[in-house]
Amino acid sequence: MATDKALDGFGRYAGPATLILASLADGAKHGYALTKDIESFAGVRVAPGTLYEALARLQAQGLIEPVESHDRRRPYRLTEVGAATLRAQLDAQRRVADVGLRRLAQGWGPA
Amino acid sequence: MSGPPERAARLVRWYPRAWRARYGEEFTELLIAELAERPRSPSRTADVIRGGLVARLADAGLCGGAPQAPELARAQARAGLASLACCAAVFLGVGGAIWSQLVIGWQWSAPDTAGTAVATFVMTGTVLVLALLALLAALPVAWTVAVRLAHGQARGLAVPSALFLAGLAIMIVGGRHFGNGWPGTGGHPWARTGLVPGGVAAFSWASTLWVTSFWAHPAALAAFPAAELTWMALSPLALACLVAGAATAIRRAELSPALLRFEGRLGAAACVTMAVFLGGGCAWITGRTPRPGSLFHPGAIDVAGLAVMALALGVACQAARQSRRGPA
Repeated sequence: MATDKALDGFGRYAGPATLILASLADGAKHGYALTKDIESFAGVRVAPGTLYEALARLQAQGLIEPVESHDRRRPYRLTEVGAATLRAQLDAQRRVADVGLRRLAQGWGPA
Repeated sequence: MSGPPERAARLVRWYPRAWRARYGEEFTELLIAELAERPRSPSRTADVIRGGLVARLADAGLCGGAPQAPELARAQARAGLASLACCAAVFLGVGGAIWSQLVIGWQWSAPDTAGTAVATFVMTGTVLVLALLALLAALPVAWTVAVRLAHGQARGLAVPSALFLAGLAIMIVGGRHFGNGWPGTGGHPWARTGLVPGGVAAFSWASTLWVTSFWAHPAALAAFPAAELTWMALSPLALACLVAGAATAIRRAELSPALLRFEGRLGAAACVTMAVFLGGGCAWITGRTPRPGSLFHPGAIDVAGLAVMALALGVACQAARQSRRGPA
């Protein structure tokens, strides 16, 4: 599936990109709102330079798009391709998490 | 002490103009909010500076990232080609000085070591190949620019074209004028007195007169004729005009994807050729030392020149790689 590989070219920005896509899954947000939202659900503060590098790459890939705004703070929203990519990315992460938790339970006992 | 808006504006200046035109406003707003919440954060400042430098490298076509939209990818390919042209100019400026020193030396006596002779042959061959590649690369770009100018689409192209032509004219006229003063050529470009035509060697020598260790010896420099000193100061400026004009025209001319691919292949071939040229220069420097007083004795300026050429070649290779990633 093409979307499985969509974040492959992001290199060190794949992590921030996944967090941004996850944050936009419940609606459009501008830069600062993204930073605060990601901090609240992931406990990670994405620095401004890194955030905008990831945003630029996501937009160039067509995974997110800017929303028309009269405000200087431009919001971004998820596209159809972005939603499919996020789903594929999270499915892959869940498979890894499931395997890891199952093996931990087998080798080290239940948590 | 300045407030968040002023500090944010200062930080945003780390990014290139094109990036600021697209993201500047919203990024400034984000920084203002960040600075208001956490006034001091060295890691945030470092992150913004790093992001700005990466954006500047990308703007110069020296690094890329994720696959981009076709239009952006083509712009990055053009930027890569422009950076490649600048690096090749630096390489040839310094390399031309070393090469002309060797071929002019050969006009007076044959090299006294086999290494020097082989190096001179290798460098001469690669100069010929590089000249051919430069011609092949320049003609279609010049044609594209000329067609656009002829159709009244001169916006953004007239000034760089004029800059390029002015720099080229100064280099040709000045190089010919000072090259003519070199004994043995009689002012004839194709007068044959050594490995290469004497006039060509003298022209290369005169064009690169500014690559000299005399800058470190002001007393010796002061003994030079005023016209020659003026030329030594003027010629690098003319070369800079020529290169800046060419690079800007490449970035602004809407080259077709096919032409971008063609130019990218020529760029890759130029990098390989420059590497061979550099190999020849290294063979000369590291080979058996010519006898004392030999015309082929390498100096510290030649070693420094090879280091500059190696650096220019490294950046040129990176630019060539980026320029070939762009056009689909």
